[in-house]
Amino acid sequence: MANRLEEVDPTVLLLKQRLEGLLPDEAQFRFDLCVTEALTNLVLHAKPSKDEATIDGQLTMRGDEFVIELFDPEGAQPFDLRDNARSLSDIDAMAEGGRGLGLILECADRVNYGSVGRRNRLELAFKAQS
Amino acid sequence: MIHSKLHDPDIMVVRPGVDRLTAVNAKAFKEEVAALIDAGASRLVIDFKDTGFLDSSGLGALTGVLKKIGHRGDLVVCGLNPDVSQLFRICRMDRVFSVYADEADAIQALKEKS
Repeated sequence: MANRLEEVDPTVLLLKQRLEGLLPDEAQFRFDLCVTEALTNLVLHAKPSKDEATIDGQLTMRGDEFVIELFDPEGAQPFDLRDNARSLSDIDAMAEGGRGLGLILECADRVNYGSVGRRNRLELAFKAQS
Repeated sequence: MIHSKLHDPDIMVVRPGVDRLTAVNAKAFKEEVAALIDAGASRLVIDFKDTGFLDSSGLGALTGVLKKIGHRGDLVVCGLNPDVSQLFRICRMDRVFSVYADEADAIQALKEKS
């Protein structure tokens, strides 16, 4: 995906299409929300070494989970949202920002982050339809 | 982007005019509704009937509009689908906004307040 805000929604919708009927309905929404928040966060805050650096992703099934892997654009500083997210209950009700990372932690079934080779990768897992 | 319609003398119904209210269009939504408030609208219904998805940016923009109105007026929301309702619950926004099933209920509630 090109590192542009306009690319986020079409990318998420394409990924969601692939999961139709494979995730429970309520998990489809959680997937949509988490991936939208994660991609938006990367576009707005990751600082790649080159403007044309892309955000790469991969959707796979592992056991009973669908896992979306999102790779930070090359050159971006590592950012583990698990260390930076604020609990949604701690956020001022009238705040206009600051909920995105907390929503990811709240809505994904599992969140992981770390380096893979020379790149950093966020993993978000969602339990498949049983 | 937004669609607005005046009901009664002073109740404005606003629809975001997008299927997804996210970071790509949340700022425009907030600015357009803020312009309506600056032009005198003070009792607003935001109708999400045709908006199937909001993210935290969309929710932030809505909160910004509520702050803009402040004590000068009133803002209620309606037409939330189950996903958007779930987002409101997760973010505890159902305690901040008065939520109604549809436009008619929301307008009625505002009329009863006046």
